Amino acid sequence: MVKIRSIIFYSLIKREILRFSKVAVQTVFAPLISTSLYLIIFAYSFQNREAVGYNIPYIDFIVPGLIIMSLIQNSFANTSSSLIVAKYQGNIVDLLLAPFSHIQLSLGFMIGGIARGMLVGFVIYLVSIFFYGGSVAYPFLAIIFALIISGIFSLLGIIAGLWAEKFDHVSIFSNFFITPLTFLSGVFYSVRGLPGIWSEVSLFNPVFYMVDMVRYAFVGQSDISPWLSLIIVGASFLALLYLVTHLFKIGYKVKS
Amino acid sequence: MTVAIKIDSINKSYGELQALDDINLEIRKGEFFGLLGPNGAGKSTLIGILGGLVNKDSGSITVLGKDTVKDYRETKLSLGIVPQEIAFDPYFNVRETLKIQSGYFGIRDNDEKIDEILDALGLTDKAEKGPRELSGGMKRRLLIAKALVHDPEIIVLDEPTAGVDVELRNSLWEYVIKLNKEGKTIILTTHYLEEAETLCDRIGIMNKGKVVKVDTKDNLINSIDRKLLKVKVDKTSDDLGEVFASYKLDVDDKNKEFEIEVSKNQLDKVLSLINSLDTTILDMNISSPRLEDVFLKLTQLGGGQD
Ligand SMILES: Nc1ncnc2c1ncn2[C@@H]1O[C@H](COP(=O)(O)OP(=O)(O)OP(=O)(O)O)[C@@H](O)[C@H]1O
Ligand SMILES: [Mg+2]
Repeated sequence: MVKIRSIIFYSLIKREILRFSKVAVQTVFAPLISTSLYLIIFAYSFQNREAVGYNIPYIDFIVPGLIIMSLIQNSFANTSSSLIVAKYQGNIVDLLLAPFSHIQLSLGFMIGGIARGMLVGFVIYLVSIFFYGGSVAYPFLAIIFALIISGIFSLLGIIAGLWAEKFDHVSIFSNFFITPLTFLSGVFYSVRGLPGIWSEVSLFNPVFYMVDMVRYAFVGQSDISPWLSLIIVGASFLALLYLVTHLFKIGYKVKS
Repeated sequence: MTVAIKIDSINKSYGELQALDDINLEIRKGEFFGLLGPNGAGKSTLIGILGGLVNKDSGSITVLGKDTVKDYRETKLSLGIVPQEIAFDPYFNVRETLKIQSGYFGIRDNDEKIDEILDALGLTDKAEKGPRELSGGMKRRLLIAKALVHDPEIIVLDEPTAGVDVELRNSLWEYVIKLNKEGKTIILTTHYLEEAETLCDRIGIMNKGKVVKVDTKDNLINSIDRKLLKVKVDKTSDDLGEVFASYKLDVDDKNKEFEIEVSKNQLDKVLSLINSLDTTILDMNISSPRLEDVFLKLTQLGGGQD
């Protein structure tokens, strides 16, 4: 039984990874190109400048932010589009008829999203080496942080995919929620340098903690303690995992 | 254990509509069971609850003794459900779809079984085609194939032959009969009553969310005590109406034929009356009621037109 269950689980992960690999031009190369453009633009526009509050070149400051941004977008896009397409085509019934446990469904989709997010994030890191040299202060931490963050956004993508009734709904979720939170999280600037109240407001943005802790792993400096960020981000991850598993259990918007 | 599926007081409503109203039903191991009923009777809803596609309001279902909610992983492994709605995974071709599907049911290397199913369903030459390249009937075949890859003990076919050509129908039934002979339990819903009549051992008839009758096919058909005698003669005389005054008679002067509707215990009497006629009998035909007659009788009990 344990063996059967692991095959079942592994099949879902495999399916999720095969799915985005089949449309890699759109799922892997397109984000790679757009982020590379950001790198080129920032590298040349802010040559010889330093990030405010950090004694490092701006490009070094921005690379971890850009990596996290594409990690977030791709993890989210992977699970949300996988689910919305399955609902639209009707093949979501395959998942409902198959003997998956609810936590297997959560983790299976999540790992698919993590796989795409980490793949895109890693390739962008490789590209960024040409722009800033590629040094990472704490590589192991960087990987752990990246895994948790893409896990969070894969789970959010599941929620969006289950909730959405049309393809448009998914873009509402990402345009009005994910993109603003990401852009205002300190990807492009240090929150420390923000005037007055805005640096405090940023503390209510969960993405801020994610970007900040990954920046710590890359450059060894951050706006707040990375361990505090890890606690906040880790707790969000567990809460989301619980929520998503519950949604699968009740068949939220997929069972009548 | 002889019970494959035990359905116990299942209720389901959609808002005001009581889609399933206290359904009790037992499907025996190894039988070929027909679940019939007009559109909207609740057949697919019941199958949906069985497979975990629909949440029930109350009641319980066990599959081979396991509860479909508590032990859903076990019950899903024993079920192979072909849903009524065609759905496909747009990213994968036929063979990939069936491989993934095998994995979903815990089977890693399943090429032999996949080839067998492809062959039985006439999909072998479409194996490398994407679902968008398949015709409607072929998509239906893929839907059926998907439900069979894990060699389930219980196979549920929700209108598997809708939109499928005669050739596949025949090969599909040949394959399903073979599976049934090997001991698999089959549940079939169909609107082609001749199909149900030739295939099924027992039949349950649903109407408006209720099971109105469950019996063996033979008992159901025999429950309508009515024979139709069609007699061809050399001349139809005017006194036919008098002779058969107490029977339902239909005379066709042009073709020199008449039809009489009788119950079984009237057969003897009517035959001697026919014999006493001053005509020569050229041909005679006695027909029994069909499942369709039973079906119509039972589903119009409520007086509805649906
Ligand atoms: N998701 C749903 N929401 C609301 N009503 C529904 C839903 N699914 C089914 N129904 C209603 O429940 C009733 C039973 O539907 P069901 O699909 O089970 O019928 P059926 O016997 O399978 O019919 P058919 O022969 O047309 O397939 C119908 O009146 C239908 O309109
Ligand atoms: Mg139906």
